[in-house]
Amino acid sequence: MIYFHQVNKYYGDFHVLKDINLTIHQGEVVVIIGPSGSGKSTLVRCINRLETITSGELIVDNVKVNDKNIDINQLRRNIGMVFQHFNLYPHMTVLQNITLAPMKVLRIPEKEAKETAMYYLEKVGIPDKANAYPSELSGGQQQRVAIARGLAMKPKIMLFDEPTSALDPETIGEVLDVMKQLAKEGMTMVVVTHEMGFAREVADRIVFMDQGRILEEAPPEEFFSNPKEERAKVFLRRILNH
Amino acid sequence: MLRYSILFDHWDMYMQGFVNTLKASVLALIGSLIIGIIIAIFRIAPIRPLNWLGAAYVEFIRNIPLVLIVFVFFVGLPAVGIRFDPFTAGTLGLTVYTAAFIAEVIRSGILAVPKGQMEAARSSGLTYLQTMRYIILPQAIKMVIPPLGNQFINLVKNSSVLGVIAGLDLMYFGDLISSETFVTFDVYIFVALFYLVLTIPLSLGVGYLERRLAKSR
Ligand SMILES: Nc1ncnc2c1ncn2[C@@H]1O[C@H](COP(=O)(O)OP(=O)(O)O)[C@@H](O)[C@H]1O
Ligand SMILES: [Mg+2]
Repeated sequence: MIYFHQVNKYYGDFHVLKDINLTIHQGEVVVIIGPSGSGKSTLVRCINRLETITSGELIVDNVKVNDKNIDINQLRRNIGMVFQHFNLYPHMTVLQNITLAPMKVLRIPEKEAKETAMYYLEKVGIPDKANAYPSELSGGQQQRVAIARGLAMKPKIMLFDEPTSALDPETIGEVLDVMKQLAKEGMTMVVVTHEMGFAREVADRIVFMDQGRILEEAPPEEFFSNPKEERAKVFLRRILNH
Repeated sequence: MLRYSILFDHWDMYMQGFVNTLKASVLALIGSLIIGIIIAIFRIAPIRPLNWLGAAYVEFIRNIPLVLIVFVFFVGLPAVGIRFDPFTAGTLGLTVYTAAFIAEVIRSGILAVPKGQMEAARSSGLTYLQTMRYIILPQAIKMVIPPLGNQFINLVKNSSVLGVIAGLDLMYFGDLISSETFVTFDVYIFVALFYLVLTIPLSLGVGYLERRLAKSR
């Protein structure tokens, strides 16, 4: 589904991704962890070409992401993305936020798009907020809308970049619950997070990054009980001890 | 004491001028908003040659006098076979000129929209232009309503440039009435009042929108 082969990326002189090799299969949930600045966001953003790679090969859904001849919008409609700061459209209602892309990208009629939107709003637990504006919602509710917005495109892959990092502690759970449900239903998910409980429970695989490299890749039981890399040990100790 | 007889005796001329000034202003307002938005997008789109084109337009147009731009349409283009009546030439000049200022205002608004908006929209499969239209511009324009309003007020006042080329606007008829009656002060006071009829509601409207937006955000 997602295949990185010897991928490198530079920001000017700065080498942000170093020889990345990573394969993610359909239905897999991969959690990426690592210290801040290690390149996790960059890695995830390469998958839908919000960032371009400098060298190597990146294939997503059988498409060479950085090939000039592909229709990037065609690829992106199959990849939902959820951001740390939600990035809901503040001038639109919740319903409009969710129906925009299905109507303008997939050309689904408004009535059907609204029905789909309501279905996913039910699913994330806030159908009563359909006509609210984002500014009227709590952080957790906004993030759930953002997830519904992604799902309404019926994507094959969902990307999450620290979806709970900007939330108040009491609303983190409601967002993680939605993500767990999604994982259970077989969605292919790539999740950057510091929520180790979620990683342990839901991930098929943990990918540990540091300074632009993937240092370790293992199933959660193995990674959490017996990390091989010294830096992974240090990182885990720091993050689990507060 | 103002001689109101001037106003009543030449009411038809004043009205014709008023209507034409209103027409020129509305046409130039719509035109300059459209061209301004296009130039603003040229300036920020991730395509170098368009950036240069946009920058060249803005720098060139806003650094020469409006009267000269109007002359280009009135006497310059006819020299190469493209002919306009004075009203059209004046309105086109006004449009092209105002668009340069509007472009800068819109551009500052676009740059003030958080980067995440573009990323969220593009990652959902919307094209760059769809994202501009549905996500970025509505937010950008909201943010720049006050400076945009100022540009529109300037536009109405600047439309008096039509008078220079006999463009049948308020200023033109003011000159005409004045040379007919040998009265200056009173004639132009009435001209000024007609301009105020256009600009004051515009000014109040902008103020109203500004207050409403301040509340909603
Ligand atoms: N647009 C950019 N230009 C230059 N450097 C960047 C840019 N984006 C990120 N970086 C740098 O790349 C490194 C990795 O960033 P990021 O992928 O956001 O890390 P993480 O998500 O793991 O915290 C950081 O050092 C960051 O400062
Ligand atoms: Mg990050």
